[in-house]
Amino acid sequence: MTAPVIKARNVQKSFGKLHVLKGIDLEIVKGEVLAIIGPSGSGKSTFLRCMNFLEEYDHGEIWFGDQLVGYRKAGNGALVKDKASRIAAIRTRMGMVFQNFNLFPHMSVLENVVEGPTVVQRRKREDVITQAKALLDRVGLSAKVDVYPEALSGGQQQRAAIARALAMDPEVMLFDEPTSALDPELVGEVLDVMRSLAADGMTMVVVTHEMSFAREVADRVMMMDDGNRVEIDTPEKIFTNPSHPRTAEFLQRVLR
Amino acid sequence: MDYTWHFQIVWDYRAVFVRGAIMTAQITFWATSIGLTLGLALGLMRRSQILLLRAPAATFIELFRSTPVLVQLVWIYYALPILTGLQLSNTASVSIGLGLHAAAYFGEIFRAGVNSISKGQWDAARAIGMSYTQSMRRIILPQAIRRMIPPFINEFASLIKLTTLGSALAVYELLHEANNLINSTYRPLEIYTVLAVAFAALIYPIIYASQRLEQRWQLHQ
Repeated sequence: MTAPVIKARNVQKSFGKLHVLKGIDLEIVKGEVLAIIGPSGSGKSTFLRCMNFLEEYDHGEIWFGDQLVGYRKAGNGALVKDKASRIAAIRTRMGMVFQNFNLFPHMSVLENVVEGPTVVQRRKREDVITQAKALLDRVGLSAKVDVYPEALSGGQQQRAAIARALAMDPEVMLFDEPTSALDPELVGEVLDVMRSLAADGMTMVVVTHEMSFAREVADRVMMMDDGNRVEIDTPEKIFTNPSHPRTAEFLQRVLR
Repeated sequence: MDYTWHFQIVWDYRAVFVRGAIMTAQITFWATSIGLTLGLALGLMRRSQILLLRAPAATFIELFRSTPVLVQLVWIYYALPILTGLQLSNTASVSIGLGLHAAAYFGEIFRAGVNSISKGQWDAARAIGMSYTQSMRRIILPQAIRRMIPPFINEFASLIKLTTLGSALAVYELLHEANNLINSTYRPLEIYTVLAVAFAALIYPIIYASQRLEQRWQLHQ
């Protein structure tokens, strides 16, 4: 068994008095696709955002390879917030795709994809442009290279956002409800891109309401409720014979 | 109405108007420069999570927004030297006074502009590993500046008009030159009319340019 790419141990998070994560444990291995499901407000997006420290967890540990995410151990063993530059360096190795795409509206599709590698990784612009065009071709947007995001459909915007994340050559891709803001007829094109990524062996964590995607593509499915990890298992087990009544109840509601 | 206009007099004294306009432009230039530089700093400070930066910026901004400009200018010219021994010339007093005043408003425009950019843009910038400075420079500011332009132009136009307060400190800007001219020519109607037209000629092109810019930028917003 290889060492986990991401390891979370007793991760907790509060917004004021609201305890949104109540101690999550998780290990993800290289090449694995993990789907996180659960009712809204269960803390699944917050947990995902803790993985690249867009959200600061306040208890427990998240490890990315051999690096602690967001904190370092002080001399006395206590955790102190890490330097911003080290946190940023970890983020360059994890791609993230958002529910609302968050493309940069003042840049063309190509510029959106080229921005990170050139500005953050300081790679040569010509090389990055070649790579970016190949990525945009891969997500089916080669005709939209010079278009601005506002002229794209939601599905196209999300595919461009996936290309933007892939341009950093990430080791892991984090998806935060990538199809929730899409019209139903546009969901398929985004899921197709994600499917092909999974088939290529990309390590993926996907917070999703798309149960069929979780069932077909994920290697494991994690069910969350009320800030807790209810259970984690293979899709077959979760969808046909969940061990926890809360999972069964949730699935019964969403799969009607 | 049987008033006979004598615009010839104004034309004869056109050099006086040009001189006044140059002074008005100089004061506007310095006040805008001070206002932009200090305003940017104030806006950034007021957004800071550090109280030691945020509190002084907020105090400065609210102080200048809640007192009359004329009082600020007079205070700098008359009260500052008594309190600190620092006597500024009347032109410098007006330039700096209006600069500080503008900084308070520019600071607020800057802050509002940055705050108007959705949190998702910060998330996206951070997620590709950008630092605060990179996110600000590459992602947030280019979008925010487009939203700041209309209120900024408003404030700039208002600043040009505020230079007339310099006449209270005997600065030879347009209004003061005009008043002097009236004392020697007894032609207030012509002179004030020309003065109004001169200001309109200075300010309207700026407003027009900003409207055009706004329309163009709306294409990629």
